[in-house]
Amino acid sequence: MHIQIDEIAKEFGTTTALHPVSLSIPSGALVALLGPSGSGKTTLLRILGGLEFPTSGRVLFNSQDATGLSVQERRAGFVFQSYALFRHMTVFDNIAYGLNARPRASRPNKAEIDRRVLKLLDLIQLPQIAARYPTQLSGGQRQRVALARALAIEPRMLLLDEPFGALDAKVRKELRQGLRDIHDETGLTSIFVTHDQDEAMELADLVVVMSMGRIEQIGKPADIRARPATEFVREFIGA
Amino acid sequence: MSRAPLIQRTAMPGLGLSAGITFFMLTLVVALPIGALLWQGANFGLSNIWATINRDRVWAALWLSFRLSFLAACFNLVFGVILAWVLVRYRFPGRRIIDAAVDLPFALPTAVAGIALTALYAPNGVLGGLTDQIGWQIAYTRWGIFLALVFVGLPFVTRTVQPVIEEIETEVEEASATLGASRSHTLRHVIAPMLMPAALTGFALSLARAVGEYGSVIFIAGNIPLRTEIAPLLIVIQLEEYNYDAAGAIGLAMLAISFTMLLFINLIQIWSRKRIGHV
Amino acid sequence: MSDATLPKMQARPAATAPRFRSATEESPAARGALIAIATGGLALLVGAPLAAVFAEALMQGWGAAVASLASRDAQSAIRLTLLITAIAVPLNAVFGIAAAWFITKFDFRGKAFLITLIDLPFSISPVVAGLCIVLLFGANSALGGWLVASGHPIVFAVPGIVLATVFVTFPFVARELIPVMIEQGRAEEEAALTLGATGWRVFRTVTLPNIRWALLYGTLLCTARAMGEFGAVAVVSGKIRGQTATMPITIEMFYNEYLSVAAFSMAALLTGFALLTLLLKTALELRHADALSATRRH
Repeated sequence: MHIQIDEIAKEFGTTTALHPVSLSIPSGALVALLGPSGSGKTTLLRILGGLEFPTSGRVLFNSQDATGLSVQERRAGFVFQSYALFRHMTVFDNIAYGLNARPRASRPNKAEIDRRVLKLLDLIQLPQIAARYPTQLSGGQRQRVALARALAIEPRMLLLDEPFGALDAKVRKELRQGLRDIHDETGLTSIFVTHDQDEAMELADLVVVMSMGRIEQIGKPADIRARPATEFVREFIGA
Repeated sequence: MSRAPLIQRTAMPGLGLSAGITFFMLTLVVALPIGALLWQGANFGLSNIWATINRDRVWAALWLSFRLSFLAACFNLVFGVILAWVLVRYRFPGRRIIDAAVDLPFALPTAVAGIALTALYAPNGVLGGLTDQIGWQIAYTRWGIFLALVFVGLPFVTRTVQPVIEEIETEVEEASATLGASRSHTLRHVIAPMLMPAALTGFALSLARAVGEYGSVIFIAGNIPLRTEIAPLLIVIQLEEYNYDAAGAIGLAMLAISFTMLLFINLIQIWSRKRIGHV
Repeated sequence: MSDATLPKMQARPAATAPRFRSATEESPAARGALIAIATGGLALLVGAPLAAVFAEALMQGWGAAVASLASRDAQSAIRLTLLITAIAVPLNAVFGIAAAWFITKFDFRGKAFLITLIDLPFSISPVVAGLCIVLLFGANSALGGWLVASGHPIVFAVPGIVLATVFVTFPFVARELIPVMIEQGRAEEEAALTLGATGWRVFRTVTLPNIRWALLYGTLLCTARAMGEFGAVAVVSGKIRGQTATMPITIEMFYNEYLSVAAFSMAALLTGFALLTLLLKTALELRHADALSATRRH
């Protein structure tokens, strides 16, 4: 799905989190929002997911205005930094949650839910953990379960907030490839937030560098490396 | 493998003094008196205890105490969770006063609560007069006992659930919403299970308090044998007749109920620690 | 992914962003209803009885209320309750400090069991507590018979009331101190020891300043309960007018004699104290939250 961000601004009280920013994300792209903390990248992601609402500006999905859609209507697969798994539910119930939450008329039957959850467990290469609770999983396993849970609702896009932030270096490397594979397999437009420039450059098709609530540069990783648009980008990439 | 020593040696001073005071007080105040009750029961004999309890009036009192306490605890479970939610999540004028007022049943002497509730809900009272007009008598009926038991157990659920609500990460609620769940679905399937262990602990505490409650109930109960006579009152009546054996027998029955509930509370906590990884 | 599922939205000028509801909030209607249930329920269950106490006490004016408190029975009840409280609360404070020190500064087997024993009085009916004391020290027991014969009766006398009061308030101070002292650990005390301080000095200059607000908090709750205890005292006191009738017992006597103003005036006095307790408690929670156990901070 093509995502158009049109002059989106966000204020929290007197502080400005986002100055009007515009961005066009082609269908099927894997995009990194890259920047230091406080750059507004997470706010932008949350606005796309419907968790925050912009002070002004519009969000368009496939050229249709989606600004006023509630978080439930957006159907954005959102992966939280802390994963936010439901601790009192098994891995299976976590992944099935979005399907079970649908109104009865559009809810798949039990066999269909079973089939989809098991398929997703295969996709994240953890077919044997369905009966476990989140507290019994490693950090990397939790991240993949959170991803599977987001994919279960057949999302129109995938939004990931610092998906590798809570993991150690080795696991991080493995899961980067995992995310790339899942993106390529599902073809979903995917946007992830990161403060790690290696991660952004290695993984994304398109990198959006942000600072202080503004977009500093948009480009392919190679272009940004070769021709940083501003002093900020040069320093941030060089670091 | 040898067991850990009874007590680890350390440089910290005051072992003898603190242990001495602790065990002396525990023995004098708790262990010896409870031991006296158990001793009395042992001398009286199991068959005599059973014969004492197995009378209509005693059964009726024990059953009334337990049943109304259970109903009052159920009411407090629902109301207490709502109260805790409102106090933690919403900002409205007077919230601080409401928060402080929750503890009033802990601070107010039970006899004061008893006569105040009676004055209010008696047929000639302000609220009792209103309900009397629709033929609903509260004071001197089981409704009155229920009301008093709700009052004394009111703070428990709120106070156990409040810290748990404060610790819920908003991301978990947001995650539920991004997966398409409506707010009410989130409340029922995500929030409610998270509050369950604490709410059940509060429920059990409220129940335990209500079963043993005496001061606030006797004024409003009417104390009619077989109908509105609670178990603790029976003990008092037996003692006034210097029937120590019978009083001890009923006391042991109530002690057994208390221990069962204490066990229940501990089991909930073990279960929730295993299941969710925290209490 | 089909786009037909996308709900149609009217194009809207970018500047006029509508008021959206956060994903983690209830609808305004639900919110209002819940607040109404909470405040309404509390007003009916707690506020109304509170008002009733003062209304009944002042039924015949201030003069009658004050005069009823000046009667001989009332005066002796007030004195007795103050005496009992003045003995029972320090006893429990000393016990609470000793137990918390023992439990948090040393490692030993059976600690969990000891904590359960300390908490036990909370789960026992006050009437059963009174019964236990009567069975141990009453004239019918060997020990009680000897005590009465030697002129030191416990049951139906002040010592019994003190014992009953200590029993029902037993865990109050200890359970406020234990979590705070666990959180604070032992390092500060150990540091003081290495600097040459003696045991008492460590306690007075290091531990006590760290636990003073929690100690005050526990003592406050203990005092409120001690002054108001009814069930256990009713059993052990014998309710002897002018001798073993505490304030709550005297309320019952007045009430049963249809001396409504006298009963409610004394009740109002105790209620005033309960309100003062709540006020101080709330102030402690607001100003010294970090010095209290975690469950007290809200």
